[in-house]
Amino acid sequence: MRQIVFKLRDGALRSGAAEVPVDVSPLTPDKLFGEGEDEIKSTKVWWGNRQENVERIFEVSVSGDASGAEEVKVVFEGELRKVKRIGYEMSAGEIVAEGSVGMHCGARMRGGRITVNGSADCWAGCEMHGGTLIIEGDAGDNLCACYRGETTGMTGGTVVVKGNAGECIAQYMAGGEITVRGNADMLAGLDMKGGKIVIEGDAVMPGANMSGGEIIVKGKVIDMMPSFKYEETVTIDGEEYKKYRGDFAIGEKKAKGTLLIRS
Amino acid sequence: MAVYTDVLCPFCGCICDDIVVEVGEDGKITKVKGACAIGRSKIMGHDRMESPAIREDGELRDCSYDEAIKRAAEILADARRPLLYGWSSTVCETDRAGVELAVEIGAIIDNTASVCHGPSILAIQDVGLPSCTLGQIRNRADIVIYWGSNPVFAHPNHMKRYSYLSKGRFTPGGKKDRKMVVVDVRETKSAKLADLFVKVRPGGDFLVFSALRAILRGHEDVVPDEVAGVEKKDLLSLAEMIKNANFIITFFGMGVTHSGARHNNIANAIEFTRAAHLHTKATIMPMRGHYNVNGFNQVCTWLLGYPFSIDLSQGYPWYNPGETGAVDVLVHGECDAALIISSDPASHFPADAVRHLARIPVIQIDPYPNPTTEFADVVIPSAICGVEAEGSVYRMDSVPLRVRKIVDSKFMADEEIIRRILEEVRAIKEKEGE
Amino acid sequence: MAELLIKNGVVFDPINGVKGEKMDICIRDGKIVESLHDEHGARVIDASGCVVMPGGVDAHAHIAGGKVNAGRLLRPEDGRRGLEPKRGVCKPCTGYSVPNTWATGYRYAKMGYTFVMEPAMPPLTARHTHEELVDTPIIDKAALPLIDNNWMTLQYVRDENYEMLSAYVAWMIRATRGYGIKIVNPGGTEAWGFAKNCGLDDPVPHWDVTPADIIRALAHANERYEMPHSIHVHGNMLGHPGNYETTLRTFDVVKGISASMQRQTMHTTHIQFFCYGGTSWKDFESKADEIAKYVNENEHITIDLGSIILGDTTTMTADGPMEYTLYRLTGRKWTNHDVELETGAGIVPFLYSSRNPVHSVQWTIGLELALLIKNPWKVVLSTDHPNAGPFIGYPILISMLMSKKRRDEVMKEVHPAVFDRSSLASIDRELDFHEIAIITRASAAKILGLHNHGKGHLGVGADADVAIYGISHEESDAGAVQRAFLNAKYTIKCGEIVVKDGEIVATPEGRTFYVEPECEESLMNEVMKDIERLFKEYYTVSLSNYPVQDVYTPHPYVIKAPMSG
Repeated sequence: MRQIVFKLRDGALRSGAAEVPVDVSPLTPDKLFGEGEDEIKSTKVWWGNRQENVERIFEVSVSGDASGAEEVKVVFEGELRKVKRIGYEMSAGEIVAEGSVGMHCGARMRGGRITVNGSADCWAGCEMHGGTLIIEGDAGDNLCACYRGETTGMTGGTVVVKGNAGECIAQYMAGGEITVRGNADMLAGLDMKGGKIVIEGDAVMPGANMSGGEIIVKGKVIDMMPSFKYEETVTIDGEEYKKYRGDFAIGEKKAKGTLLIRS
Repeated sequence: MAVYTDVLCPFCGCICDDIVVEVGEDGKITKVKGACAIGRSKIMGHDRMESPAIREDGELRDCSYDEAIKRAAEILADARRPLLYGWSSTVCETDRAGVELAVEIGAIIDNTASVCHGPSILAIQDVGLPSCTLGQIRNRADIVIYWGSNPVFAHPNHMKRYSYLSKGRFTPGGKKDRKMVVVDVRETKSAKLADLFVKVRPGGDFLVFSALRAILRGHEDVVPDEVAGVEKKDLLSLAEMIKNANFIITFFGMGVTHSGARHNNIANAIEFTRAAHLHTKATIMPMRGHYNVNGFNQVCTWLLGYPFSIDLSQGYPWYNPGETGAVDVLVHGECDAALIISSDPASHFPADAVRHLARIPVIQIDPYPNPTTEFADVVIPSAICGVEAEGSVYRMDSVPLRVRKIVDSKFMADEEIIRRILEEVRAIKEKEGE
Repeated sequence: MAELLIKNGVVFDPINGVKGEKMDICIRDGKIVESLHDEHGARVIDASGCVVMPGGVDAHAHIAGGKVNAGRLLRPEDGRRGLEPKRGVCKPCTGYSVPNTWATGYRYAKMGYTFVMEPAMPPLTARHTHEELVDTPIIDKAALPLIDNNWMTLQYVRDENYEMLSAYVAWMIRATRGYGIKIVNPGGTEAWGFAKNCGLDDPVPHWDVTPADIIRALAHANERYEMPHSIHVHGNMLGHPGNYETTLRTFDVVKGISASMQRQTMHTTHIQFFCYGGTSWKDFESKADEIAKYVNENEHITIDLGSIILGDTTTMTADGPMEYTLYRLTGRKWTNHDVELETGAGIVPFLYSSRNPVHSVQWTIGLELALLIKNPWKVVLSTDHPNAGPFIGYPILISMLMSKKRRDEVMKEVHPAVFDRSSLASIDRELDFHEIAIITRASAAKILGLHNHGKGHLGVGADADVAIYGISHEESDAGAVQRAFLNAKYTIKCGEIVVKDGEIVATPEGRTFYVEPECEESLMNEVMKDIERLFKEYYTVSLSNYPVQDVYTPHPYVIKAPMSG
């Protein structure tokens, strides 16, 4: 087992009055498992419009050995809100972020596990295909959605948000499962085609344009879509839910989404 | 005295091109005919920034163009996350130079669309845009819907030249051959002229669009009796009007792009148009504000593949409004220098964004002083496009036109200023490379 | 300018009858010359073991203008599929099916192409097309204005006033700085203004004319001048099962009209989309054999292929109703942009899937046509970029046309419907380098009339546009062919080396070619009265702000087209 710790140096991202974000997409178990300590320290990362050695920005410590990405644990420490693309496209191994992280955490990930011990900014788990993403705090907008113009979002994997989630989570979701322990803001599961979302708190206008998949809301629905059809009351785990079908705004043939709201 | 006819107006996205401008012996504009009041004042001009200046010890000191341009280039060449913002009240030639500058220094380049019709563009990228040029509306439209837009106030000549009040081949009777519908959260001046006014509760547009879509697709049974403050019977009668029309157009404005579901409102408005197209010809168009806000989006799209909010820091264009927009990088305190051209973020941006802008080096290029000048570190006065400088512009319906130079000016044109900054930046980089 | 000598290459220059001969090419001041002044001072390229051809000429690719840009804007996801950071002399590139203008220039140059025709310029937005052409580096280009659904055209056709029509056409080509007459779904695009469409012999709604009348009248108008190109026709019913009969009747519409120049009287474009049999998508089949038979038996028609590249692309055409049909099929994004009094545009992303029987049969049709039409001078390679696939797929098509083995391999991978609904499996013909040189440059240049203006050949006086491919003229491996044509060893544009070893090394600005038909003044004055009325009553721009100004063609090449004798 190999552990690589990147601790953000104090003030390392300051440029004048600004805090310029750093893109750490090269710092995944996939890319680092075979690298020596020196090579890891001199890995190039984009900081603003110039590339820097990672060591200039992070204190790096490496321990243990690994024969594959699945045996690597990467830990990020320090103030991570301006650290973007943690675990971008990762396929194996583990990443732990000790604090709230910047945008695109776990975006396009295919496997492995990311734990954020804090909140995650927008586009966490975007276009995720597999693996596990655990966010102990809140998630920003576009969680598990897709990048501009795409029409397929998350296709697989498991995501748990222990706090609240922002707007338009899981847009164009096609597979996988998302649990939000708190509330979800506007338009959760917009354009959803498949997969499952469980919102334990409240949701605003969930399920618009749904053509497949399932959304379960255990709290209140604020602004129920006017284009869903009530079908029946069902019982899940001893609780009664109203079951709706939609979205009829896309036409009856395509309206194959299921929205379950606790009565 | 010289008289210029068919002059183009550099004010709003309508770009009226039948203005008459009279110029006196002294080379000053004496009269403007055929423009709306705002257009007229725009062409007549007012108090200018008189000289390039650099801020020293808190005060602006007048300097030469050369000195200001050199200082601007130093700031930009040094920056790690520079922002180049504005670009909507200038011509496409300037915007092309701006894109080259952004590529050269690895900047974020963004225009005012990101705080006006950026959401509309995001929506188009989700679902597309069934639209047309304004002449199609003039000649064919029998139902004109203004949704969350108030042309009487923001685009004064729009109804007369292009829509409700204009006359065309299949609408020879003008407004007699058309019906006008206004949908808004309050009864605006435009709403008072409408044949039908539909009042929606603030933030409720998304729900209303979905309800109309379900009705137009034959599923009125699922729609509840009231949707966002609108009675179902009113929705049904609007749907009926649409079904019986020959050609409908929906013009939407900031009332829809910046409330409730924002860009998803527009995506839903477009989906509503697609549903209406099952019954008749249905089109939709954003009411673009600045006369060339669309032109920048066009230029950026053909040069960089994306219309606005583009981050070139890693050498290729990364497009992600919400992350790469001007307001985003300012509110997040990310950018460390900014060039502002033909725009006034100090008046239009959220307070957090303005606070950060005031903390970093700012270069301003503009014919006029404005609140952004208050904290700009380098100010470079420029010629007024469409009056003192010519160039390409794109109307709200993407019709390309060429605004003209009517009078001479002592001020440098925007394009030249940007090109000279670019040259200076290249010179600095070459030196660094040595 | 320094001299350049290309030595020891095996040259294919079909227009000059050079068919794979080892010979040297001499270049001075951007032109091909007989011999060099100073052989020792000249830069020498050793082309041993290489195939040398004139620069490629693309007769039909949507690379610039409002519709193309609307396609880019519609598809940021396509943008991300072609991202390349700035590097060396190159600006950043984006896009696969809808590349940015920089990528368009670079990628064509890398394939050895030096001229591209943008085939659909809405007159009202011509300035936009020209702005993008100017920003498309390296290659020379031109654009064809759409003149077939214009109200003025419809009026003159209805009134049978062909003199005035010819004057109007001349004014339009000059006002837009266009190259010739483009026709797209004549009548149907006008009908689309009210969400309708119409067939070849149906009356256009609100106008007492038929599409056939429009095509015939515009062909006559074109031949009143010594236009380098014929009418360029995208007919009615594109993409509909059973449309091959309409296509054959469309060919007949201009039969008997004599051309003012030594060329065809009608170029029918992306013909693959017009070769469909059957009555629905269920019994859809290829009728390429019928179309090829007609083209083989008649001399007045030329075609370009519009051959499919399997995979995702972006369809875009002025044929608004056709794009609407496609949108209803896919349910995907749909942009439509009708242009007042003139034309329209539709854009829909599309996936040609190898698992889909219809798409697989469509894929065979372009290849069938290229192989069944006996005379390659009637054929131009195209994908109707990006409609049937992006232009960077040309090397794939070349490799398939040159290799029966390659075709058989792909046929096994696509839907088996190709074996009973297309004749491709039964065709043994393989094109050789000479024939490839014809359909990728020489025939295109002749059909466009550019061979008289230095394009598509390597004769003395021609533009020094040369492609050197790193492949032996005896090579038959399809993979090697594909690689060689994708990244030329050298591309030379007007005497300047722009590509070396598959990399861009220089990015000069290309020229814009346009035609000036010369109409008598009295007739032009007469037509101007009608044009003035048209602008006053119906357009939303003033007449004086309409014509494209000089600044939009900073590097012009003007071809005068006098009245024909």
